[in-house]
Amino acid sequence: MSSTGTSALEAARLTLARDIRLALRKRGQLIQPLAFFAIVTTLFPLGISPELSRLRDVAPGVLWVAALLSSLLALEFLFRDDAQDGTLEQHVLSGQSLTWLLFAKTVAHWLLTGLPLAVMAPLAGLSLGVPVASLGGIVASVAVGSVALSLIGSIGAALTLGVKRSGALLSLLTLPLSMPVLIFGARATELAIRGAGFAPPLYLLGALAVLGITLAPLAAAAAVRISLE
Amino acid sequence: MTWTWFHRLGSPPYIYGLAARLTPWFAWTAAALIVGGLYGGLVLAPPDYQQGDDFRIMYVHVPTAWMSLMVYTTMAVSAAVGLIWRIKVSHAVAASCAPIGASFTFVALVTGSLWGYRMWGTYWEWDPRLTSELILLFLYLGYMGLRSAIDDTQRADRVSAVLAVVGVINVPIIHFSVLWWNSLHQAPSVMQLAKPTMPASMLIPLLMMFLGFTIMFGALLLVRLRAEILNRERTANWIREAVAS
Amino acid sequence: MNEFLYMGGYAAYVWPSYGLTLVVIVLNIVWARRLLARSREEARRRLAMQGEET
Repeated sequence: MSSTGTSALEAARLTLARDIRLALRKRGQLIQPLAFFAIVTTLFPLGISPELSRLRDVAPGVLWVAALLSSLLALEFLFRDDAQDGTLEQHVLSGQSLTWLLFAKTVAHWLLTGLPLAVMAPLAGLSLGVPVASLGGIVASVAVGSVALSLIGSIGAALTLGVKRSGALLSLLTLPLSMPVLIFGARATELAIRGAGFAPPLYLLGALAVLGITLAPLAAAAAVRISLE
Repeated sequence: MTWTWFHRLGSPPYIYGLAARLTPWFAWTAAALIVGGLYGGLVLAPPDYQQGDDFRIMYVHVPTAWMSLMVYTTMAVSAAVGLIWRIKVSHAVAASCAPIGASFTFVALVTGSLWGYRMWGTYWEWDPRLTSELILLFLYLGYMGLRSAIDDTQRADRVSAVLAVVGVINVPIIHFSVLWWNSLHQAPSVMQLAKPTMPASMLIPLLMMFLGFTIMFGALLLVRLRAEILNRERTANWIREAVAS
Repeated sequence: MNEFLYMGGYAAYVWPSYGLTLVVIVLNIVWARRLLARSREEARRRLAMQGEET
């Protein structure tokens, strides 16, 4: 199979398809972050109060902190398998644009974890007493915000490639950079719950996502190259 | 000929010697400026008509906040230089910056919180400037954590350099946040070089503290840099003479 | 003098601020110097061991 004629875009598309195919074979691994999300959002009513009216007030924060932690959990799977079996090294050596390849991996990761999270979020929201009318806004904000989270997380994951038991360090690196996403996402969710226009924070989330798309794969590629040197 | 001075800067023994010679100058100048600034700020400057004596916290809060940003920028720039031109001394500078920057960021947050309590009625607010300054502290800690987690010095240098460069985006956010958003934090009153809105008796001690803290950072950096260089140049011949005393 | 310490009623805010700053400055100085002393000591020891080997 000749790869000299393969463009970066083509290689990226192939990587995307491969990652999705491989991940779907390990469905148990995919469920974990979603189960974590469900459990965490259940803990809050148990810890705070069963009254929906009170939960509704904290729902934005609860949803977003849970989403943030779940995406952090999911980050472990982004590069780990490929780093362990040498595929990542092959990517680096292949002469293909590592930036595009990592972008493709992150997109695959988002499709497998962020998007399902956006689908689950309304269910979690309902359990926290949010009005049905706000569900569209919740899905939109989590969908866009999780894009930014996946990209920011890819930087942290790339930086900690060579580190054993990197969980805590990965959190320390990723969570601070994710705070703007949390702030705007919770704000958008809160406005949606109140029935107000949530476009401004949603646009800001979109801006963060775009910023992530343009910059994160570059930083991640630099970090991966250095980690594998 | 004109580039030899630049190449000398990359030479560990030269930097070591230079740092050793410069440190006392930096240290004593900084001490003088800080003591003078403290006297001017605590004793000489009259109480503010609005905040009374509470405003005197400015003389420690503003310099330490400035340091938190300046040190991070120094760290990020030297990390980038080390990354691009593969200069080991540059990485040593970046490594030396982090603990200093982290500790002064912490001081900036606490002193700002104490100063803010009287003005805002609360010790903390999640407004853009405070939040991003907190993120800066986490960035410092993450940088130091990442460094210590990677055993190979060269790889630790380069990986943490990527983090330092990625995080530098936070510095302009902190600085301009009071202009871009409706923030609890007050707008800049010193940086308007045209006409600062502060009387001279208040301004001069502040400038002395600014300068004193900056030079103190230089002194601390030089000491840490020497330690870093010694640790890295393990078997070099020049060390024998350098540590002989 | 008492008025100076009293800081117009804000003593509880002003003095801890200055105190913390001073403590952190001193800690920085002590920490940096100790690091350098330790590095020098280690270097001396390493060179002494090398000298014995040759």
